[in-house]
Amino acid sequence: MKQWFLGLPGPMVLKIVIAVVLTLVALVALFFVYDWIGTNMLDSGGTIG
Amino acid sequence: MVEPTTAPVEKPASRSAGFLTRIVRVVGWTSIVVGVLILGFVVQQLFVTTWFSQQHQAELNVEAEEHFVTAEVTEVEYVPPPSTTTPGEGTVAPDGTVTPGAGGSSTDEGAPLNPGKRTLLVETSPENGKAFAVIRIPTIDRLEEGWAVVEGVELRNLKNGAGHMPHTPLPGLPGNSVISGHRTTYGAPFHEIGDLVPGDAIEVDTAIGTHTYEVREVIIVHPTELWVTEPREGAWLTLTTCHPKFSARQRLIVFAELVDGPNWEAIYA
Repeated sequence: MKQWFLGLPGPMVLKIVIAVVLTLVALVALFFVYDWIGTNMLDSGGTIG
Repeated sequence: MVEPTTAPVEKPASRSAGFLTRIVRVVGWTSIVVGVLILGFVVQQLFVTTWFSQQHQAELNVEAEEHFVTAEVTEVEYVPPPSTTTPGEGTVAPDGTVTPGAGGSSTDEGAPLNPGKRTLLVETSPENGKAFAVIRIPTIDRLEEGWAVVEGVELRNLKNGAGHMPHTPLPGLPGNSVISGHRTTYGAPFHEIGDLVPGDAIEVDTAIGTHTYEVREVIIVHPTELWVTEPREGAWLTLTTCHPKFSARQRLIVFAELVDGPNWEAIYA
């Protein structure tokens, strides 16, 4: 993790900004993946047809 | 002279131990990451979706209240469909055929039970996604206060509230009004409807007024069994949700019949 962070381009401030943005993007993507799995396997809303 | 041999024997064992340590470390970290992802999934499904749903419910309840005031309600003439059975005294089979009950009486085929001019109160059809009703089940804790019902059963609709299936009558009207809802996620409005038993009351507030239904039957079907949404004689409310809990494999269906409300007399008199 530390190596990944230090490998990001630019000065320290830019590294932090990129890391925060990438983390947020990953969390949002994960949210949609969770939502898709939940809707298709756990609870589709009970619709018929 | 024989020279002592020591170091060459230990080398393979040391390499093997290092390899094992690396395997254990990879397996350990993979387990931790997978565990965190699964925990995240559970938290997202059970708590985050419910939080979003509750935010929407607060807005939708206000929207429904506004709809009750602003919706256009008109009186229309109602001609009951031909029947051979006294409504409320027979049973409806899964294929839609009506079997007279013990107290059921037959009439001439094709003749309405009570020919005469009747009027129904009808509201304009709500737009897709709009809250237009509130469903309340006094015997179920989370539905005791009411849950907003929106028009449409698309995924985005059901994330906000229970959804009324388009092309089925609105609650309080003759036929079979179908409402679907989540059972375990997005607020899980229908979490406990499996506990309903025949005789339990279901109330639905609409712009017309409050319609009271009585549970007649609770069954489990496959998701493709469309017959449960087909029109029925009289006025019915059909609730559908996933079954079993935490699975979308089957559907739990609650059939309830109108027993009171502004249109009850026109439909059943």
